[in-house]
Amino acid sequence: MEGRTEKPLKEAPKSESVNRVRKLVHRRMFVGIKDGRFFLGNFHCMDKKGNIILQDSIEYRSTRRSSPSPMEQRCLGLILIPFSCRSSCNVDCSIEEPLAPLVL
Amino acid sequence: MEAKPPPAAADEASTAVPDGRSSTIPSGENTVWVDVSLLLDAACRDLEDGELIHGDNFNLFAAMSALEIMDPKMDSGMVCKYYSVDEAIENGAAPVPISSDKTVDVRCTIDIMDHLLACEATWHKGHSVSQTVFSCIYLLRTDRTSSHVLLHSYCRIIRATCKAVISVVSDARTHEEEDLFTMSYGLPLSGDGDDKCLSVLNAVEETICRQLRACKAPSSRRKVLEDIEPLQTNLALEEGYCKALLCRLRFRKHFYHVLTCLRRPQGRGLELARKHIASCISELECILSSSEFLRTSASGACEDGLEDKTTASGCQPVGFDANLNSRLSAPTPPRAIQILSWNEAVKYFMRLLHDLDVLCSYSLDSSLESVLHFVVQFQKSQPDLVARAHLQLLLVQDGKLHGRDPVFAVITRAAALPEATRNHDIQKNEFIVQLGQLVINLLKILCTNSAWQRRKLGKIIQDWRVIYLQLEMAFKECGENSNVSNEENSIVKIFQHILVWVEEQTYWIASRFLILGFELELYSPNEYCMVYWYLYVALVKLAEKTHLKMAVTNGAGKRRGKKKRDTPKDVAKDYRIPPAVLFLQCQICLAEGLTMMLAALRNEHGILETRSPFNTEYERFIQHFELLQKASIPDHVSYPSFKESTTYARFSNILMYNYFKDAQRIVKEVKSSFSNEPDKLAELRRLEQVAEHNSIALNVISRVGTLDPSLKVSFEFNHHPYFATAVVKRS
Repeated sequence: MEGRTEKPLKEAPKSESVNRVRKLVHRRMFVGIKDGRFFLGNFHCMDKKGNIILQDSIEYRSTRRSSPSPMEQRCLGLILIPFSCRSSCNVDCSIEEPLAPLVL
Repeated sequence: MEAKPPPAAADEASTAVPDGRSSTIPSGENTVWVDVSLLLDAACRDLEDGELIHGDNFNLFAAMSALEIMDPKMDSGMVCKYYSVDEAIENGAAPVPISSDKTVDVRCTIDIMDHLLACEATWHKGHSVSQTVFSCIYLLRTDRTSSHVLLHSYCRIIRATCKAVISVVSDARTHEEEDLFTMSYGLPLSGDGDDKCLSVLNAVEETICRQLRACKAPSSRRKVLEDIEPLQTNLALEEGYCKALLCRLRFRKHFYHVLTCLRRPQGRGLELARKHIASCISELECILSSSEFLRTSASGACEDGLEDKTTASGCQPVGFDANLNSRLSAPTPPRAIQILSWNEAVKYFMRLLHDLDVLCSYSLDSSLESVLHFVVQFQKSQPDLVARAHLQLLLVQDGKLHGRDPVFAVITRAAALPEATRNHDIQKNEFIVQLGQLVINLLKILCTNSAWQRRKLGKIIQDWRVIYLQLEMAFKECGENSNVSNEENSIVKIFQHILVWVEEQTYWIASRFLILGFELELYSPNEYCMVYWYLYVALVKLAEKTHLKMAVTNGAGKRRGKKKRDTPKDVAKDYRIPPAVLFLQCQICLAEGLTMMLAALRNEHGILETRSPFNTEYERFIQHFELLQKASIPDHVSYPSFKESTTYARFSNILMYNYFKDAQRIVKEVKSSFSNEPDKLAELRRLEQVAEHNSIALNVISRVGTLDPSLKVSFEFNHHPYFATAVVKRS
């Protein structure tokens, strides 16, 4: 009983997916949101709700609704992307790197 | 499991980004984008409540400052209706012409003009120019409107006006707290040929004048004028539209002239500016009266809620989108800006023009005393930024007063030194040069808004104190080295005069600092006692120094005067206290009377006690007067001296030395000396009223107070902006 109640507080026996995501911290992440913009930054934090914080991020946006269109970009720094508006999420991955830990 | 991804898989991952945009935003060299959405979703399911995934450098406090995407209050990049100005134009958000129906086109053009006026007023009131005036798509791409002369000429004069206003405000640099005002990064503020905007506007005005004449002409003559094409197609509305347009165009023309005239060096354009201001005001009145016609001719405009509408007709204008530019307004968070209503905008411009008119009526007096008086008087109506910027540029140009009087000449005059001193070599003395800088700074500070002004005055008071000490040392050195040669003797005299004046000026600053606290409502009623006490000690010093300065001057005058004719009357005058000092004396009586009354109320009735659960009276004393205390203004004055003079205050004593009666007596005595100065006379009358009411209140409290414990005393500023009047009520 005692062992079980303490479990969540300890770091070690985490789920596989949480451990894998933890390894993604500091990697370049590319997040798309529903209004069509993209954010490129370093993965900094994620909570249970799926809200993501990116560091040193850059915003990319089209200058036109119709694609293809020229992109506009600007630096935003530390940003929080709520789960509700996130439409895609990618990380930068070397060609040589094993893909399996990144996909489910 | 650990197999490397086949090239195809990697490709697939990279194209997982919607719209295939990853091609435009490349991943690193030899890297690809891999979709991790599903992995993140799985991790979210497995995370405990409140648990976070983060690295070692994570700091919750810092993370709180992250900009939240899609939060309308933080995310200025949110895509609203259009992605860009060009896209908005392509989608017909700002058509040229606005309508193929000439009548509708004219009506819409007038709406655009009106909305721009509202935007301009909103900008002047402290919002960014990019989200107000430059929310106009036509203004962002003026080249598009060249075929539409009416709109084009108006847009160009607006742009030129914005540029002129920005330049005034940024040159004056009085906008520290209002720094959004001049931020025009990325906006097309200057265009080719904007210098010709007035001639284009004049040509358009001329055309409309002819159209107006043509439509008003009797039908017999109309044939002669037939070569003139009417403004629009509905003849019944022709006159009304022509008139509505003319007053709008003329207002812009005169307003632009006002701005350029005010910028002429040494106030040379003030007289002409006044004429243009008068024209501006009369055109504004025409604009106001045109609203009835515009409202009735605009069919389909809703009648209700006309008060918030940004146009005279009440119609929504075409061609505006405040969100297109919102990303230009960084570093400020995006704000939903409420554009002032058209009525408020007209009111704002009326007020601005009135303030500028007051400015133009100013006589560019070389005496510092009257300059300070004028500025304080001008600031009483709390003018907005644009008027204040013009005031400052008028006062200080090229480091000289009004661009004309060298600072040293201003100082010698203020210090009541003979005219010849202004060329004395002493002006090269480093401390005198510094003093000159302080005077210029003081003038600039007095033109800022009250809050900023008070903060800055509190800071420069220290500088004035330091310069006084430095001058005093230099003066002593001079005195020691002097062999009583004539030349050195005169240097000693100059120093003497200047020292007295610097002290006087320092106490003037201190009193202004204290008084501004009332305007900004920084004092709570239970602090009035200490504030009036401090005001009292500062004013006593100010009166003392003013008197000393005048005595020194009169002394010098008398010696010289002996050579001239000296009537016995003049001699008698010397022994009287000068009216300027008596004026201060009157304020001193009020400040002292209020201090004592407040102290006695606290001591005897327990009203307005300074006890507070948060800080002690001493702490509040320091909070309010720290800057003055640091500069030892006045010398040897501190919290204990405040306590000492107020702890034993009793009504029986105050009645004996009735300060308010003294004030009333002085007012009566001194009134005749200010018969030529309506401002000061009005001030005296206000002081008299405060004295009278407080005198009565004092009697009531001391007679009834001891018998009736339910006595309620409050203080109001209904007769004077900073001398309170006691209101006594029985509950």
